[in-house]
Amino acid sequence: MALVTIVSQKKQIKRKAPRGFLKRVFKLQKPQLRLEKSGDLLVHLNCLLFVHRLAEESRTNACESKCRVINKEHVLAAAKIILKKSRG
Amino acid sequence: MADHNPDGDPTPRTLLRRVLDTADPRTPRRPRSARSGAQRALLERASSRRLSGQTKTIAKGRSRGARSIGRSTHVQARGHLEEQTPRTLLKNILLTAPESSILMPESVVKPVPAPQVVQPSRRESSRGSLELQLPELEPSTTLAPGLLAPGRRKQKLRLSMFQQGVDQGLPLSREPQGNADASSLTSSLNLTFATPLQPQSVQRPGLARRPPARRAVDVGAFLRDLRDTSLAPPNIVLEDTQPFSQPTVGSPVYHSLPCTPHTGAEDAEQAAGRRTQSSGPGLQNNSPGKPAQFLAGEAEEVNAFALGFLSTSSAVSREDEVEPLPDGVEEAEKKMEEEGVSVSEMEATGAQGPSRAEEPKGHTQVTEAEGSQGTAEAEGPGASSGDEDASSKAASPESASSTPESLQARQHHQFPEPAPPPGAAVLSSEPAEPLLVRHPPRPRTTGPRPRQDPHKAGLSHYVKLFSFFAKMPMERKALEMVEKCLDKYFQHLCDDLEVFAAHAGRKTVKPEDLELLMRRQGLVTDQVSLHVLVERHLPLEYRQLLIPCAYSGNSVFPAQ
Repeated sequence: MALVTIVSQKKQIKRKAPRGFLKRVFKLQKPQLRLEKSGDLLVHLNCLLFVHRLAEESRTNACESKCRVINKEHVLAAAKIILKKSRG
Repeated sequence: MADHNPDGDPTPRTLLRRVLDTADPRTPRRPRSARSGAQRALLERASSRRLSGQTKTIAKGRSRGARSIGRSTHVQARGHLEEQTPRTLLKNILLTAPESSILMPESVVKPVPAPQVVQPSRRESSRGSLELQLPELEPSTTLAPGLLAPGRRKQKLRLSMFQQGVDQGLPLSREPQGNADASSLTSSLNLTFATPLQPQSVQRPGLARRPPARRAVDVGAFLRDLRDTSLAPPNIVLEDTQPFSQPTVGSPVYHSLPCTPHTGAEDAEQAAGRRTQSSGPGLQNNSPGKPAQFLAGEAEEVNAFALGFLSTSSAVSREDEVEPLPDGVEEAEKKMEEEGVSVSEMEATGAQGPSRAEEPKGHTQVTEAEGSQGTAEAEGPGASSGDEDASSKAASPESASSTPESLQARQHHQFPEPAPPPGAAVLSSEPAEPLLVRHPPRPRTTGPRPRQDPHKAGLSHYVKLFSFFAKMPMERKALEMVEKCLDKYFQHLCDDLEVFAAHAGRKTVKPEDLELLMRRQGLVTDQVSLHVLVERHLPLEYRQLLIPCAYSGNSVFPAQ
């Protein structure tokens, strides 16, 4: 589309952790491994922090390029950095 | 006015034409007779009614023109000095300039002092002052100020002119102290305006006060409405011919309409679809009432509709019908008609109709159908079959009226098409409506359900979190990018956890592994411990599960 679709912001977010989703993903990825019961909560915490950092970085990129909207490029550049940081 | 208005209700424009054509050499200023005054008043009211009734006529000057025409026609016809807007006076002067010597100086002087007269008179309250100053003013004169809401200056000018006439003709007008300048100026003008005020006007001072406010509103609203709405008189007729549109739409639906502008730019597709649905029926609901409203001169609602349309259109960027709305005056009209049409269509569809009107699913179906039809439209209005065209055209009116409804599907499809066809299509669509309605809505194409959807559904949670943390508007492609990043992240995460667990000789991933991971990521430092992060970011329920806490009975949960 020539027009840019901008997704509106959500004012309220759910704080629940998609425990089933996380367990399924882990199972699909590493069927041989088992995840402890509280482990997925920490995984969820990890995801939260990752997303948080990614968002901050993207926001910084967008502000630096003086855009009012976060673009794909901003996210891409941010992801490169943050993924590298999250490699562990 | 019979002589000048042989037909029942000539448009003010025709009246003006006649007036200009006739170019009555007689001086327009003659003593006003009670009869003429009354007739003028009647004519003015009739003209105002006509004005309100005829939405398609010329916009701005029309009301004034009509009034002036009315007055001028009256004047010309009867040679009576009507209340005359200053415009009419000027017109008369110009028209009859060479005739009367009295006029000559006026014609020369009048334009000059007119503005000057206006200024001082403007200081005073427009109508009230007029009325106060000229209590004996004919009802037409008082009405004229009311009618001339925008033409306040003219009213003042007229007043000044009146003053002259009054001074000359009637003994009553001593008021113009406020218009001292005006009077001084106008005294020089000394036109045959010196027609004495009609006794009728004197008889009806009370009437003078009544209309002004209402007239002003009507005029302004009417002008606005004229500008906004299309100009096809037949449209009104079409609207009228669809009485059954009314029962379908309930008044409560109308309430949704005000909501639509506020919803603004939410998630475009679904929210817009829902909103537009509600607004569509609401609009449709109003469409039947529109003709009556027009006639009544209540164009505010139409403007509201236009605004609602505009707002909804702005909210949903892709509305093809709505986009031309700001450009095309016709759009609103067509949409109203189409609303009526679509409403009738909706009714015809029966179960589909209410479902369309109310259910997002039905709406999507409709949008799909309309979208398919719209694509046909996009390909070519005269494409394939006439039925298809009719259906597409009918769809376009549907979409046009229910633009709110069919926004989503239409977004991608019909941009230019619906605008031109709807006008013509409305007529053709009506007979084609039943055919259209019978078109089965295209079944929704469901994407690959299997694995990806739940995976994406789970990811969407984090994507929403991303948009929440970002605090900035984002593009959809950026969100897709975020999804990919999350996928990669999960892969990395699992690999790392596997390595850590293997390093610890375990096959189960334990929280210690997670903590180690976070430490390596730099999230957990010596200053910031895992518990701190848990407290910060996780809700209480999870914190209770994660952080061991001592409870009564010397028990710790979770057990360490």
